[in-house]
Amino acid sequence: MHIPDGLIPATVAAGGYVVAGALTAYSIKRINQSDNAQEQIPKVALLTAAFFITSLIHIPVPPTSIHPLLSGLMGALLGWFAMPAILIGLLLQAMIFGHGGITTLGVNAVILGIPAILAHFIFQTVNANSKMADIKEAAADKWGARKLQISGFLAGAIGVGISVLLFYGFIILTIPADIIDPAAERRATLILSLSHLPLLLVEGALTAMLVTYLSRVKPELLRGLSEARA
Amino acid sequence: MKQELDAYAHLDSPLHRWENRYKIAGLFLLAFAFAFVEDVRLLPALVVITAGLFWLSNLPFSFLSGRLKIPGLILFGIVASLPFLSGTTILASLGPVSIKQEGVMMALVIAVRFVCIITLSLLIFSTDTLVNTLKGMIALRMPPILADMVLLTYRYIFDLSASFRTTQTSVRLRGFQNNKLSGGKLNTLAALMGNLIVRSYEQSERVYKAMILRGYGMTETNPAALTSTPADKMWLASILLLAIGLVAAQLYLAL
Repeated sequence: MHIPDGLIPATVAAGGYVVAGALTAYSIKRINQSDNAQEQIPKVALLTAAFFITSLIHIPVPPTSIHPLLSGLMGALLGWFAMPAILIGLLLQAMIFGHGGITTLGVNAVILGIPAILAHFIFQTVNANSKMADIKEAAADKWGARKLQISGFLAGAIGVGISVLLFYGFIILTIPADIIDPAAERRATLILSLSHLPLLLVEGALTAMLVTYLSRVKPELLRGLSEARA
Repeated sequence: MKQELDAYAHLDSPLHRWENRYKIAGLFLLAFAFAFVEDVRLLPALVVITAGLFWLSNLPFSFLSGRLKIPGLILFGIVASLPFLSGTTILASLGPVSIKQEGVMMALVIAVRFVCIITLSLLIFSTDTLVNTLKGMIALRMPPILADMVLLTYRYIFDLSASFRTTQTSVRLRGFQNNKLSGGKLNTLAALMGNLIVRSYEQSERVYKAMILRGYGMTETNPAALTSTPADKMWLASILLLAIGLVAAQLYLAL
């Protein structure tokens, strides 16, 4: 889900940097308003490294295999830290593997960052009535566990869904209108978006399972960065 | 996850000697100027500039071709359909399938821009160690929170990756085969990933305590005391001139 260098015009790439810069600046402002921002930095950095590595896992989805995006999980766990974490993850991917690119870093950060922030709000909203301080007790309760799974699924699936729409939106909308047939453009958008439905379901299920695992093993992770949250 | 980027950081070339702040700023702006080019007539200029800089860097061509392989396949998957879908001027047709001139031109522009920008990013990141490049970025006014996070993330990616590989091996030795999707296998993968997330979180608490003991957050730090020479500024001015020239030529040709 990375737009490579050279694919989109410089004006769109520059616009991506502006939007990503504004989102990151706002995220940093929100982070700095919390009392323990400095304490969270190593936690977020190591979690970013963990997300970076786990996103390289192959999940077999016949006839191919996919890599999880994890933007929904990052949003749910990191809150406002998700945007700088995604920016750093993408920068290191561009530097180490050549995935994405240096001119498209801003656009790619927008593609993954906006869904992560939305996933954070979805996760918080679904669990709004649960006391996040008692997350382990909530997970032990049947309804509480179900709510955690649903919020995890929604965060993961919506995170991927919006990323897919943004990705193809950027690609198709940047092709000059005078050289592509509008009907073919609409058809291609629909086919490409629908082809990602299995990815959306797998990522949703994986995020729900991960949230369940974390609620049992390390429940404070689901509320650990709450002071930097909205 | 093998770290190959630093493999040629020790070489001696004008690009290796170019101070990081100037190199990052200059080549980054040149990459944006390349992305601005949409006219096929300017593509030879992109190729000549890129080839010249790559030749000056003394990096082996096999290093570049290795870096282009996977991103190139991804790009090919995206642009391969353009000659068939985009445009109205038919160059050749075979039954219902026809190759159109506008689509071919667009695919060519995208492919050349892609190869040239990837080469420039390789020159930015491979002509010094990754840590020094990151220090150069920090010196270019990266916010302190981002600077701390990027250095810590980079520091622990390789540690956690080695630890994760060990866990994957032990899961495989217990008979887990990641070859077919099922709920049970997805659950095992989720546990595997969750395990790494939990361990990284626990490690971060120890890392933070160690950082506090070493005085983290107590004093203003100057992460990169970099010095520049007139040659660094001359290089930057030359690259900026090339970038401005390309943008001006593109604007002129678009009139």
